[in-house]
Amino acid sequence: MKKNKSSLGVMLSLPYMIWMAVFTLIPLGVVCYYALTDPDTGAFSWVNVTMLGEYWSVLGRSILYSLVSALICLLLGYPVAYFIAHQGKVAQKILYMLVMLPMCMSFLLRTLAWVGLLQDTGIINDFLDLIGIGRLQLIRTPAAVILGMVYNYLPYMILPLYATIVKIDHRLVEAAEDLGCNSLQVFTKVIFPLSVPGILSGITMVFVPAVSTFYISQKLGNTDTILIGDIIEKWFKQGNNPHLGAALSLVLMILVFVCTGIMNRFGGEEEGVIV
Amino acid sequence: MKRANKILTILMFLFLYAPMAVLIVASFNTGNDITNFEGFTFRQYALLFKDSTLLSLLGNSVLVALLSSFIAVAFGTVAAVGIHNLNPKMRKVVMRLTDIPMTNPDIVTGVSLSLLFIFVGSNLLGAKAALNFGTLLIAHVTFCLPYVILNVMPKLKQMDRSLTDAAMDLGCTPLQSFFKVTLPEIMPGIIAGGIMAFTMSLDDFVISYFVTGPGFITLPVEIYSYTKKPIQPKIYAMFTLLFGLIFVLMLTMNLLQINAEKKKKDTRVRVESKGMRIFKRAGAVALALCLLLGCVFLGVQANQHTIILNVYNWGMNIADGTDDTLDIIAAFEEKYPHIKVNYSTYDSNEVLYTKLKNGGISVDVIIPSDYMIDRMIEENMLLELNYDNIPNFSYVDASFRNPDYDPENKYSVPYTWGTVGILYNTKYVDSADVTGWELLWNEKYAGKILMIDNSRDAFGIAQYLLGYDVNTMDKAQLQECADKLAQQRPLVQQYVMDQIYATMQNEEAYVAAYYAGDCMLMMEENPDLAFYLPEHQGFNLFTDAMCIPTCAQEKEAAELFINFLCDPEISGANMDYICYASPISEAKNYMEDYLAESQIVYPSSQILEKGTSYAYLSEDISRYVEGLYQHATKTADQSQTDNPNSLWPIVAVIALVGVAGVVWFLRKKKK
Amino acid sequence: MEFDGERILDGINLYINDHEFLTLLGPSGCGKTTTLRIIGGFLTPTSGTVTFDGQVINDVPPYKRQINTVFQRYALFPHLDVYENVAFGLHIKKMSKEEIHTRVTEMLAVVGLKGYENRHIQNLSGGQQQRVAIARALVNEPKVLLLDEPLGALDLRLRKDMQNELKRIQQATGITFVYVTHDQEEALSMSDTVVVMDKGRIQQIGKPEDIYNEPKNAFVADFIGESNILDGIMLEDFKVKFFGRTFKCLDAGFAPNEPVDVVIRPEDIDFVPVEEGHLTGTVTSVTFKGLNYDIIVDFKGFKWLIQTTDFQPVGATVGIRLNPEDIHIMHKSAYSGMFGDYSSYSAEYDELTEDAADEEE
Repeated sequence: MKKNKSSLGVMLSLPYMIWMAVFTLIPLGVVCYYALTDPDTGAFSWVNVTMLGEYWSVLGRSILYSLVSALICLLLGYPVAYFIAHQGKVAQKILYMLVMLPMCMSFLLRTLAWVGLLQDTGIINDFLDLIGIGRLQLIRTPAAVILGMVYNYLPYMILPLYATIVKIDHRLVEAAEDLGCNSLQVFTKVIFPLSVPGILSGITMVFVPAVSTFYISQKLGNTDTILIGDIIEKWFKQGNNPHLGAALSLVLMILVFVCTGIMNRFGGEEEGVIV
Repeated sequence: MKRANKILTILMFLFLYAPMAVLIVASFNTGNDITNFEGFTFRQYALLFKDSTLLSLLGNSVLVALLSSFIAVAFGTVAAVGIHNLNPKMRKVVMRLTDIPMTNPDIVTGVSLSLLFIFVGSNLLGAKAALNFGTLLIAHVTFCLPYVILNVMPKLKQMDRSLTDAAMDLGCTPLQSFFKVTLPEIMPGIIAGGIMAFTMSLDDFVISYFVTGPGFITLPVEIYSYTKKPIQPKIYAMFTLLFGLIFVLMLTMNLLQINAEKKKKDTRVRVESKGMRIFKRAGAVALALCLLLGCVFLGVQANQHTIILNVYNWGMNIADGTDDTLDIIAAFEEKYPHIKVNYSTYDSNEVLYTKLKNGGISVDVIIPSDYMIDRMIEENMLLELNYDNIPNFSYVDASFRNPDYDPENKYSVPYTWGTVGILYNTKYVDSADVTGWELLWNEKYAGKILMIDNSRDAFGIAQYLLGYDVNTMDKAQLQECADKLAQQRPLVQQYVMDQIYATMQNEEAYVAAYYAGDCMLMMEENPDLAFYLPEHQGFNLFTDAMCIPTCAQEKEAAELFINFLCDPEISGANMDYICYASPISEAKNYMEDYLAESQIVYPSSQILEKGTSYAYLSEDISRYVEGLYQHATKTADQSQTDNPNSLWPIVAVIALVGVAGVVWFLRKKKK
Repeated sequence: MEFDGERILDGINLYINDHEFLTLLGPSGCGKTTTLRIIGGFLTPTSGTVTFDGQVINDVPPYKRQINTVFQRYALFPHLDVYENVAFGLHIKKMSKEEIHTRVTEMLAVVGLKGYENRHIQNLSGGQQQRVAIARALVNEPKVLLLDEPLGALDLRLRKDMQNELKRIQQATGITFVYVTHDQEEALSMSDTVVVMDKGRIQQIGKPEDIYNEPKNAFVADFIGESNILDGIMLEDFKVKFFGRTFKCLDAGFAPNEPVDVVIRPEDIDFVPVEEGHLTGTVTSVTFKGLNYDIIVDFKGFKWLIQTTDFQPVGATVGIRLNPEDIHIMHKSAYSGMFGDYSSYSAEYDELTEDAADEEE
């Protein structure tokens, strides 16, 4: 009987497995192939890999910016997720929807709106000027790029956090209070440890798109804030060297897999939160 | 504590919604500037509904999203049931596989899929347009599938296994029990997964950007090129409408759900309300209708216009009907009703070359510059033109015939010509500083300089400044130019092409190097801007010409299109919009006088003598230059660039605190 | 106490003595858990006071009360192991590591969980989790331990064992236990004092024996054990009239001719030959129950439940005698007429009442 079920499973899932293998594993193989072949001759070579050395600083910057924005997202997102999780059922649903909604709108245009807000003659600077502070250099700074990341990926932090916090049994809070915890202790000893899976999943969900983004820096940054995603795009779309682009993508991919691997390891075998 | 949370939540929602509010307000603005509300109008909405291109792009997006989410739901649900029945070991393997597209950065997914499609399609199958609607659909289905699987699996897990047994016990075949018992039980998961897949697909930019060709473009991909240029406010109108639509949809869904839950609670029995049932039926019918319409739409598009002509042009390089100019493409389609033009844009010769060289796309008309045409001829990337179809070539001035880059005009028909010079803002730039190309290296304007973002023009400027030949193949000289560019880098705000419009018009930057015609356009918007051509040092004189690449599928229609653009009247009307000079003198008669007489558009012959054209160097040198350029402008060391106001110390502290926090946390965890 | 505008508790007046095992008993929704949560400090009453050792503690938050709780379904911390769960409260009190260790080890021994220190909560059986929950509360040496249906999730055997265990622990530690349950048998067997509640009101407070033998009203009579409840008239002290006959009884202090409820416990009734009986009726159903038979007898259209070891076939005519000590008289109350008729008797009555009282929140 068991065997029967298993073979039914294989039969039904085989097309899917083949599809996913063909369109996720093989492409990664193709990336490796491009990364390890010479752009001129197409023969095997390490030339692309040796050229990567030039991009460590860009990669380092990408990692730094995305880590910082993931942390800011956590700091901003946690209280918000906590607040939403402690509302009534209806309010929760509506607030959840409001967090989701921006994710469904074009991120290009939403980022562009920040240009309008931050630029030297932009809305914020007009306001600052009006109240006498004077215009500040807001756009084309690392902070603007990080702001763009935080803005775009904050919902990716809030949603998994909310999903974990809302599942925390309220009786555990009461139990902790009963055992002498004040509200701060309840948070540090019970709620926070229990929301760790959500935190890890949120950090991953912010970090991965942030580290690979290629639009935000173009719009909000300057020449010193260029990120690895921009370089990959340049090599594919302008520089006519998909081989080097592939090598960079490979590095990015390995980085992300290592990061998520570490996260999963410390997050235990708990099932990832689906948003 | 609670109040602090509440305030923070409100602030966070403000933060999330303020930019969108800006866009929405901008859609009702009479002016074009997002930061300056001049008056209330619905004009942008009217313009939007007249814009068939935008609407068909939206149609494309919806079609892909509907099809891919539909396929992903059907395919994914079956697969999820299969995976559920696998033994745990196998299941783990398959779920790992499912995780790959979820954890992989979008850019890697996009790049890897596009490489696969090009590798298989172009290199192995020899298809001309390996990147097309099909590949786009495959890519979307691939990234939609995990959403369906990950939403359906938990529902299957939750489901009581004895339910299906009970159904079979009562006489259902396994298939019947699936449809009668399993499916209704997992329906919420399927719906959630489907909706997620749909929205992800609808809004996907990064993956689509890499896997689609000019033949089939979705709205987000085109918005990317729109946002590089000065954006047309009708896009804000579209954003507003989509926002409203999605908001209302989500709200009704939530309210219905809340209602249903309330009812469920009241009666303790799961009764579907009549309204809900009708809503569901209507939803299903609407979905089916949409799919049907989509297919019909595609079919009609394919049938009605027997020929689809893919035109691939520079951004802002054809009159499109805005500002009372002639809509050239509409005029062409009117004249040749059997041809439908599919228009898309690139923003530098290098981008164009890369696209064509990498393969996977099929376009029929391209408009590269001189040196690039030379290179493409050399590399057999262009088709010979049949001049029987281009009688209007006779209007082209003799001086523009048989140029160096294409000695017999076998491959190209000139479209425009112009110069590269300096655009600067007279409000901020001291006229005493406007002495030559060195203005772009003037430290007084550090952070307010825009440099042109393509290797050939950038090196050309360095070469004029250093007094070298622009067509030199001497690697030492080229290295010196690269050093010069690297030296400039700390002063440069951004390396730009089409983005120059917004930045210069907003006075965010004061000095830039760019093409004369575009500079004219910007000067019309901002009267403080002025154009300067460093005659004494030399400057680039370029010609853009229309060609048909070897990947073209509609050569004859392409020649008709080229011919159409050579009509003096059309050419004149076109120049009115793009502000370049036409190689057809007769066109001047149809141009507005101020343009025809402008020294910027048509410099005097003494000035023109000082200009030089780029020639194609060699494959080896091109790659060498490209490498130098990318290094100099993107990654070269800049230790002395940190300005004291920079936010780096703060950032470093935050990062440090973060790392410390993680370490502390991990140690805790271990214990 | 009001909640969502609905009155949950009304006129609760309850004294709890030191070292006593007090049980709040009632059907679901009767307010017993609410009462417990007020004592624990998780709810603040809208009116009235809670005093502890003579001090009003209405506004004292739970973590400052010398009271600990064993929660319904335990509420153990899933991110901590057994040892850490038990040590939790002591850590909060900033006790020294050594002292925590000795006390936790001791406590785990008391509840019989030696050797389970490093087990994860998820890997414990229901009974073991129960013990951890008790240990976690008791290790803090509270003055009062609140237990909210702590045995609800356990199966019958385990439940009996834990009942004995709890009683033993209570006697050993001398801590006041306030115990909430809807299981009357549990309440009667464990408690020093039982508080029967319904609809947010206390129906009766007393020793288990008193509650059983002298129920104050029809609700208590029916909820605690089985009862046949009849309308009667108290003619004078020690004389009650029902079914057209006057019986002697042991109750006094009623107004002359006051209408009353008469309670007769099914196990107090003995069959006698028809001619010797005070009443005669016809057997309509017999169920074998192991220890005894449940026999339903129709007396002039009113059906009684009689529990006896004497078998009587269906259709037999039987007589019964009622001795004065078998007859309990109650004042009429809001519950009169709602209970005590076995016309719709079903053998599964036990299960029925238990199902109805499934969850209380």
